[in-house]
Amino acid sequence: MAEYLDALTYIVSSPTNLFFIVFSVIWGIAFGSVPGLTGIVGVALLIPFTYAFESEQSLLLLGGVYVGATFGGSISAILFNTPGSPEAACTALDGYPMAKRGEAGKALGIALASSAIGGIFGTLVLMLLAPPMAQLALEFGPPEYFALAVLGISAIASIGGGSVLKGLTAGLIGLGIATVGLDPITGMGRYTFGNNMLLTGISFVPVIIGTFALAEVLTRVGEGNKSSTAITDVSTKLPSRKEMKDSTGTLARSSVIGAIIGALPGVGATTASFISYSEAVRWSRHPEKFGTGVPEGIAAPESANNSAVGGSMIPLLALGIPGSATTAVMLGGLTVHGIIPGPLLMEQNTRLVYSVFIAMMLANVLMLAFGVRAARYFALILTVPYAYVGPAIIVMCMTGVYGLNGNMVDIGVMLAFGVVGVLLRVMKYPVASFIIGLVLGPIAEKSLRQGLMIADHSYLEFAARPITATLLLLSLASLLYGFYGQYKLARDRRKDGPLADTAD
Amino acid sequence: MTFHSIIKPTAIAALLGSSMIAAPALAQDDYPSRSVEVVHQYGPGGGTDRFVRAVAQPFEEITGESMVSISVQGGGGIPAVVNFTQRPADGHSLMAISPAQIIAHVQGRIDMADFKPLARVQYDQALIWVPADSEFETIDQFVQHAKDNPGDLKIALSGAAGFDEITVGLFGLEADAEFVTVPFSSSEMVSNTLGGQVDAMFEEYGPARGLYDSGDMRPLVVFSEERLPVLEDVPTATEKGWDVTLGRWRAFAMQAEDSEENAEALYADIEEAVAAESYKKFEEQNALQYRSELLGPDEFQTFIEGEIETYTTVLRELGYIE
Repeated sequence: MAEYLDALTYIVSSPTNLFFIVFSVIWGIAFGSVPGLTGIVGVALLIPFTYAFESEQSLLLLGGVYVGATFGGSISAILFNTPGSPEAACTALDGYPMAKRGEAGKALGIALASSAIGGIFGTLVLMLLAPPMAQLALEFGPPEYFALAVLGISAIASIGGGSVLKGLTAGLIGLGIATVGLDPITGMGRYTFGNNMLLTGISFVPVIIGTFALAEVLTRVGEGNKSSTAITDVSTKLPSRKEMKDSTGTLARSSVIGAIIGALPGVGATTASFISYSEAVRWSRHPEKFGTGVPEGIAAPESANNSAVGGSMIPLLALGIPGSATTAVMLGGLTVHGIIPGPLLMEQNTRLVYSVFIAMMLANVLMLAFGVRAARYFALILTVPYAYVGPAIIVMCMTGVYGLNGNMVDIGVMLAFGVVGVLLRVMKYPVASFIIGLVLGPIAEKSLRQGLMIADHSYLEFAARPITATLLLLSLASLLYGFYGQYKLARDRRKDGPLADTAD
Repeated sequence: MTFHSIIKPTAIAALLGSSMIAAPALAQDDYPSRSVEVVHQYGPGGGTDRFVRAVAQPFEEITGESMVSISVQGGGGIPAVVNFTQRPADGHSLMAISPAQIIAHVQGRIDMADFKPLARVQYDQALIWVPADSEFETIDQFVQHAKDNPGDLKIALSGAAGFDEITVGLFGLEADAEFVTVPFSSSEMVSNTLGGQVDAMFEEYGPARGLYDSGDMRPLVVFSEERLPVLEDVPTATEKGWDVTLGRWRAFAMQAEDSEENAEALYADIEEAVAAESYKKFEEQNALQYRSELLGPDEFQTFIEGEIETYTTVLRELGYIE
């Protein structure tokens, strides 16, 4: 308790500290919401600036940016189907359809409330359970990562909006595309057709920008001027208590998943949001409605990715290992201040650690206030005719995608996947399955191969670990249950006569 | 849409370069006249990014111009080199190079002739670390176990088929022992070693120092010519009769077409920046002071030639190249 008091006194005693927290949340939301400017860029740009301040102050600043940026991405995802950051890609799946239905305000409200709940949960876990959680994370070796990825991937069949075949196909295409580039173990090129620039692989950000944003603009342009599709209601409404109550299960489940996945080194908010989306579909009573704009489809990824923020600070502070790309940048910033990352960091820098706890808590609360405001400003763009907004989105996407890595191939990938995105939509293949395959495929592949190397290529030794076996059995049960559901559906349809079949 | 193979941009850069060669001579007193961008293949927050930023801080005070770290990640470093060679050779674009470029050159993926060596600043040394509860107290026990049980010991390292894997591979050859190397990202490498999923890891002293201080990891051997003053009990591989002293170095290179005048001017600035107190402090914090001797353009060129020779031999022995 004394540590908290000391840290609180430290924060409150200086107006600079309070200003930093406020500023960082706004800065974070801004960077999160613009495609191509992710939270990592937001944090990296501030690092040189932090040289001039104390280490506590620099971490207050960076922590706040991290919190804000993770929510910020959902604004553009919901309003323009343009995920501002990778971790918000999942939010677009249901957020944008809801906005298109004329309920943009509601969608933003759900995203904001879920972000705050997830964020506060993640921070609480960080404050209360950091050492045991860090130990839990160390139990996760490659086999556990593999099983986790498989669990997420096993949901691709159920996301098909009713069609197992389409869900599986789209998911497998995603898995296939993920294999382009450097082999994660041997370092050799795969499917690069002699083009060395393709060694980078088909990167995730250009693909999501292409399949979501570009495909949306192309579709809108193809539809012509239909005012009915214009998003009108944009006043952000936080969900009512009853609506929140309906999502309690989803919020609780996703927040827990987010905190755990966040704490695992090497995987972060993006993985957390997709796995919790898969789980939301799996546990839902109406899985076929996902992708059409259901509240749980927004609540799950947003609570998970914000909870992962607190989670990814756990290995950073408890072990000195960054749990995500953003925390890796933070760590770099800390070493400039002479802080040696390692298990002693928490003991040796009590005030620093507790100030971050408090700052992240404050940042999550502030996010609620600023989020409403930021969404309102962004919504003003919607009053501009789409003839101007559409091309502007394309320009933003192109510069953003190029700016991320200075690689021209990424622009090509984005353009190609714009067309893929349109095709997937026209042929009614679920984009969600495709993206899940793309995100989780590389994790599954890499960890399977690492795990087998460690287990001397014995599949039994690989799978006979408590966490791995449990997760794999769960995936198997879920797959069987899914197929049984399909079988029952088909049987019932046959009983009802051939007419019911055409109703789709 | 067609994309340039890696050869073409080089040709373009050569063309651009020849047309620009006259320009810098005019602005001699004024060089550098705008911010100097340093391209590299690693992520923000990594060792190379921090290296550039640490030099940048005093560099800005000395020249009045900023030095910016540009991260072009992925693809085994090829996109970073392409990005670099496509820039105009006007002295304002540098690349932070390391053994990764030498390895890519030996594998025929890039050409070191595209670079004009400017300054080698850091020369790090790596160690083999085992978790605190490991059964191995000394490197001899470790190697003996590997000899008795070929392939039983798993060593985690960061990155596939790169500097780490080559150094550990050479160690295996020299010690006549078979290790299995498992590539991870650098954070997963640490968590898998701490969690006991693998037997050991390969890492430099700086990043692993926190784990040593807390007693969570124990170093067994250092790959350097001399023992580290801070780890006096840890033997070098050379003492044990295994000739492995490869180390990760970090350096600046200009484009091959950049002018000599600019190279000299910039080297003088870097020399001053590296001698600055803030950089010295950084060097010490990261435990880089032990064999980091600053090499100027000519010495660095000789050093690179030696490295190419060394890595060609090692890569051939390990079967990476014919």
